[in-house]
Amino acid sequence: MGTLMKASLFVLAVLAAASTHAAEPTGEAMAATCAACHGTHGKLGIVEYMPLAGLSEKEFVRAMQDFRSGKRLSTLMGHVANGFSDNEILAMAKYFANVK
Amino acid sequence: MSRLPLLSTLVLSLSLSHSAAAGSVQAAPHTPSVSDVRSMLASMPRGDVKRGKQLNQSLMCASCHGDDGLAPTQNWASLAGQRAAYTYKSLLDYQRGGRHENPRATLMTVAVKGMSRQDMAHLAAYYASLPAKAAPAPRLDKIAHARADHLARRGDPARLLTPCASCHGAAGQGGVNETPTLAGQSVGSFVRTLQDYRDGKRVTDANQGMRQFAERLTMGEIRELAAYYARMGKN
Amino acid sequence: MLNRRDFLKAGAGLALAAALPARAANKSAHVVVIGGGVGGATAAKYLKLYDPELRVTVIEVNRSYIRPYGSSEVLTGHASIDELVVSYDALKSKYGVEFVFDTVVGFDPAKKQVRTAGRQSIAYDKLVVSPGISLQYQAIPGYSAAVAEVRVPSGWIPGTQTALLTKQLRAMRPGGSFVIVAPPNPYRCPPGPYERAALVTEWMRRHNPTGKVLILDPKDSFVTDATMQLGWHRLYGYNIPDSYLSDMPAGVKNSGKPSPIEWVRAMDGGATEKIDARTLTVMTKQGAVKADVLNIIPPMKAGKLAFDMGLTDASGWCPVDHRSFESSVHPEVFVIGDASIADAMPKSGFSANNQAKVTARAIVDQLAGRVPGEPVWSNTCYALAGSDYGLFVADVFRLKDGKIARVPGERYLPIDAAPAKIRLAAAYQQAWLKTFTEDCFA
Repeated sequence: MGTLMKASLFVLAVLAAASTHAAEPTGEAMAATCAACHGTHGKLGIVEYMPLAGLSEKEFVRAMQDFRSGKRLSTLMGHVANGFSDNEILAMAKYFANVK
Repeated sequence: MSRLPLLSTLVLSLSLSHSAAAGSVQAAPHTPSVSDVRSMLASMPRGDVKRGKQLNQSLMCASCHGDDGLAPTQNWASLAGQRAAYTYKSLLDYQRGGRHENPRATLMTVAVKGMSRQDMAHLAAYYASLPAKAAPAPRLDKIAHARADHLARRGDPARLLTPCASCHGAAGQGGVNETPTLAGQSVGSFVRTLQDYRDGKRVTDANQGMRQFAERLTMGEIRELAAYYARMGKN
Repeated sequence: MLNRRDFLKAGAGLALAAALPARAANKSAHVVVIGGGVGGATAAKYLKLYDPELRVTVIEVNRSYIRPYGSSEVLTGHASIDELVVSYDALKSKYGVEFVFDTVVGFDPAKKQVRTAGRQSIAYDKLVVSPGISLQYQAIPGYSAAVAEVRVPSGWIPGTQTALLTKQLRAMRPGGSFVIVAPPNPYRCPPGPYERAALVTEWMRRHNPTGKVLILDPKDSFVTDATMQLGWHRLYGYNIPDSYLSDMPAGVKNSGKPSPIEWVRAMDGGATEKIDARTLTVMTKQGAVKADVLNIIPPMKAGKLAFDMGLTDASGWCPVDHRSFESSVHPEVFVIGDASIADAMPKSGFSANNQAKVTARAIVDQLAGRVPGEPVWSNTCYALAGSDYGLFVADVFRLKDGKIARVPGERYLPIDAAPAKIRLAAAYQQAWLKTFTEDCFA
């Protein structure tokens, strides 16, 4: 089998696998659950919580992963982060990074 | 017809008091003199770095300030490489109710409840032992950098601004007059701190000396200085 | 008083010149929201955020909102009643939400119109109903709404009863008993009654050191019961029941001495049979309990409007589609917040806020002819065992096999949490009162 053929089959296999995953909410829909503490669109004044608006993707992903694994201490963010997959964390990160 | 007038009447007829159990400290801010600061620091216990590392976890400091003193975001100050005396004084200021510039100061006041001065010294020693890293900052072009550098090293006599470096050091390492290290501090933290000094919200520095500087600098200059010092951390 | 049939008829045959037509000249859709509490306000705001072209009208009887979350802090003087008041100004000026301050007395689902007491008929393209709860005072023999207003306050919907309860607590004789009757499931704010008991106990230690707090419960457990009781134990010397001791961290031991706070579960005879409002006596299986101050949190059902509009089922709550919260009874009508049957989601402000957003998104998608996306909700609630002692429950919810289910995992403050974490949680609870209110109303 030629390389191109193999590559195409691989891509198809990946796409097929992706389509059988449970449907994922959009980054915006997930971000809306955060707003009740972190502010509408992740915007907050200077308060005790972290504003999320404009946070770099890298920082957001790092924070959520570290919360989820327990590497970063938190009160309840560990439990919250546990509710989201890596893909979903990335989608939320993209959403917040783009909030002006 | 609104229910409010009836409620207000009931409220007036009750002697409700905002009791101190609330968790918000209402002590009057205390602006120390230079000798106040010296005597505060003279009684600072010796800190143990290892113990400080443990406390950084068990007292939840790491949650905002990072395992290694590098704050995961600009919302809170980085503490890596900060001078122990400055960290110690800050913690004590929070505990004495001198810091309430904003709700984050309130949070810190809660965080230091039950901290002994020995704990504070341990934490201060730990952070001081950590290497400050250059914080992410916008690139300053040649002219902007020169401007910031000039202010830092020569000040501006026209505005009676002595150089930042005369207290904070040529490398932003702090020390003179018990000033903090500025090298590697995040832009966000730096800017907010100067704003708090300028607005008179933060008053625990000796004789409120920082206010004059903060008032005479423009916002543009403050931002440039922030970027300048952020990049001074080592990498 | 209109019965349900009259209620529906009052909506039918409405005046021809509708005051607020469904579609204005620019053809933007009109979404009407009944109820300006957490659910309704959040829905109105987010509808406008998701589609600024929408016309959104909130019908609400009160001109401002008194928030129930955090209202127990008024009892102890930590907050004033004025601090509970939330204005609708921001919703109006910032988002262009229109308000009709009136009650709904008629509903015509076929014509898609509601009618107000002030004789306005308001047509909608989509209707959101967020009527909250109704307190079933009469479910407890000897109790009634009238008794609650003057003698045995509930204060579970804040207002004059909150002020009365505060006054009674202040006037309680030294060594008196503050008795709280907790509600049966399901009810608004699962840890709420126990947080109230905790804060009152904390207050009493300073102002009435020989006073007692007694919780009479028709249940044997509640959400956050392990961490809450540990808090009571550490702060007030509460004696932890045997069945919970194995959950506790090592070294936790009851002193055996009487504690100012006690929790009598159903299994120990805590269920209320009836009350005597005159003597402030509660009859339980174990006998009579005499109170100096009696605070009853009665059984609850959906807000009365939900019944009037025919949105409830036999349980007294509103069945809805699990994705969009569209009513299973009336299409194009969405029921959110406490009144809805939301499977695993608790009845809380946080849930109402999250449901409002998912529903707002679904409505906007439906109006645009789009298939709504996958929903997700969360409920992260801090509660206090003392002013400096915070705990919490934190869940993320997804649709699983057609029902709303918790994502499995840890939910509570760890039972061995360090003191610093507990203090921080208390500080975050205070912060949440501000940021949450902003997200809903500003």
